[in-house]
Amino acid sequence: MSLFSPKQQGVWLAGALTVAGIVGAASSASAIPAFARKYQTSCQTCHIMFPKLNAFGEAFRLAGYRMPGETPGMVKIPPIPLGAPAYKQLWPKAVWPGAIDSVPPFAMNIQFADHNESDLNPNGSVTNILNDFQFPTEANIFAGGTLGDHVSYLSEVTFGQNPDGSVDVELEHASLNFDSPFGPHDLFHFRIGKISPNLTDGFNEMWISTDSPINSVFAYDPIGAQGGVGLAPDSISPTPISLPTLVRGIEAYGIIDHRILYVAGVASGISPGVNRFDGNNAKDVYARLDYKIGGMGLDGYEKGNPPVDSWQDNSLRLGLFVYRGDGAGIDFASSDLLGAPINIQDTKYLRTGLYGSWFIGNLNVFGVYMHGTDTLRLLQPANDTFISQLSPGYDAWFTQGDYMILPWLQGTFRYEDLKPGDPTVPSLRTAVLNASMLIRANVKFMLEYVRDLRQGQNHSFDAIVRFAF
Amino acid sequence: MKRRLTRVTGFTAVAALAAALVIGSSPAASAAGGGTITGKVMADGHASDADTVVYLAHVAGTFPGGNAEMDQHKLKFEPHVLPIVEGTTVRFRNSDPVPHNVFSPNFEKYNLGTWKQGQSKTYTFKHPCKTFPCVYDQLCLLHPEMSAYIVVLQNPYFAVTDEAGMYTIKDVPAGSYQLEVWHDGKLKAAGKPVTVVDGKTLTVNFTMQS
Repeated sequence: MSLFSPKQQGVWLAGALTVAGIVGAASSASAIPAFARKYQTSCQTCHIMFPKLNAFGEAFRLAGYRMPGETPGMVKIPPIPLGAPAYKQLWPKAVWPGAIDSVPPFAMNIQFADHNESDLNPNGSVTNILNDFQFPTEANIFAGGTLGDHVSYLSEVTFGQNPDGSVDVELEHASLNFDSPFGPHDLFHFRIGKISPNLTDGFNEMWISTDSPINSVFAYDPIGAQGGVGLAPDSISPTPISLPTLVRGIEAYGIIDHRILYVAGVASGISPGVNRFDGNNAKDVYARLDYKIGGMGLDGYEKGNPPVDSWQDNSLRLGLFVYRGDGAGIDFASSDLLGAPINIQDTKYLRTGLYGSWFIGNLNVFGVYMHGTDTLRLLQPANDTFISQLSPGYDAWFTQGDYMILPWLQGTFRYEDLKPGDPTVPSLRTAVLNASMLIRANVKFMLEYVRDLRQGQNHSFDAIVRFAF
Repeated sequence: MKRRLTRVTGFTAVAALAAALVIGSSPAASAAGGGTITGKVMADGHASDADTVVYLAHVAGTFPGGNAEMDQHKLKFEPHVLPIVEGTTVRFRNSDPVPHNVFSPNFEKYNLGTWKQGQSKTYTFKHPCKTFPCVYDQLCLLHPEMSAYIVVLQNPYFAVTDEAGMYTIKDVPAGSYQLEVWHDGKLKAAGKPVTVVDGKTLTVNFTMQS
């Protein structure tokens, strides 16, 4: 028996969806004009509708924020060497020389929104928000680049403006990357820090053409007396894991024979703990394996002549991924079916999924199917005495189509479906419709409509302006 | 006529070869004699005086096109301005490790597709040009910041100014002509009548303004 009536669940889900949508909008926007300055090249060299990456931009990112086959002449702002190249021959009797950018490699992204929303309340009334000028919703400061050969970095600080005037600040990315430190080029990279794992980066930040995040895959809350009922509320602590968009971890990845991507990572799991980042001593692990058919190789390799338009790739990319974690000892405050307080621990969680992305002409269709299982231990809150254990499974999937109508105009449709672990809760189904227009290469205007397909009175419409410099 | 070979920093051997090809393909250049027109062009308000085309508006006779080359290197077109005689075939080369495209939105319009490092494609500028110069923007769909110009002229008596704004047109047949200038920054200067004498050097300067 569910804690909520289906109507209440729908409202709660929709509300959480809206909140998560706003919060999710404060997640990374990783278009980084610092690279445009470094190479004195347009955003469109790497981006379709920023921040979405084209095939060349994906190769640039995987190469450690370098152009595939990059030559010194392509870098228009030369770096400052931290040692003459000849010192490489002196190592280990000298420090290996590196380099830093000669100009601060910073960039900013700012977003405004005119927000409109309709929410169905538990009592049946509807709350409407009209033309809420969210100026701004968020601002991001990026820094990224290379530190000489084989080393690169990326960082991002996000400022999220709240309605009450307060600002949420998050160090959203901070990573140090080692690119092809040994072996064949691009075969092995590893990075450390707070990162968007390559587990999901292929279908999360870099590929999303909408302001609304993919809540079905990333924002599900698996914690519940009969399993998860829907999306995680904002600012819940500790934070349950469905599939993380950001991790603190160490990741290895590489490209084999131009078209195979492998990823393996270890990361902190459910967090935070008491006076510690990680909730316990167990680490989450993840892996991914992709294969790309056609188009530009993942390392920028081109067998035939590439398409004329920078957003085209004519390819099919397929992937498998797995994420596993252990949340033993980390209590989530909850309640049982009668409303009595209990603690729940997610002692073992496993996510397995499929990813696909098809580029054909001006169309890109991509999506993910993921199945999750959680081993939930229900405990008495006073002394963590065991009550019961269950292992609910859930399914989440989405499919999205982006179509370039004109070089500056793109239409997007996404459908999301989440069948929660609690068998009494109906599936969450969401549709997102988006039109994006590049007013300039670095100024984007979007119209976006998000609708709860289970309850039509839960919907939102936003007019969004985003610009980066 | 002759294009300056040392006019800009980073002028590549390819561009020098292109200049040589243009010179080599011009019948007038192989003729002995003729006069020389030289001078300086100042591009008022611009950081550089380079890349201005100085040319004779009309010279009696027909001048077959030859061959020229434009390279894409370090994410730039090289040279930035390429004057040619109508009918010239230009070879577009990609010297970068990234793919490039060449297209022009002007006159008959063309899009040569996209190709990889080491490959080249050609285009012959044989579309009748009613009023010279016919200026073709050269653009790359994959790198929108890249641009160059191909300036199609009636005759091979032209030059492009160097960084100092200097130009020299050699082997000009004796006679009276109108000397004109073209600048990609939309600066203008009125043409000047010139009289060329065999074996003599004529100095003509321009100040271009918006």
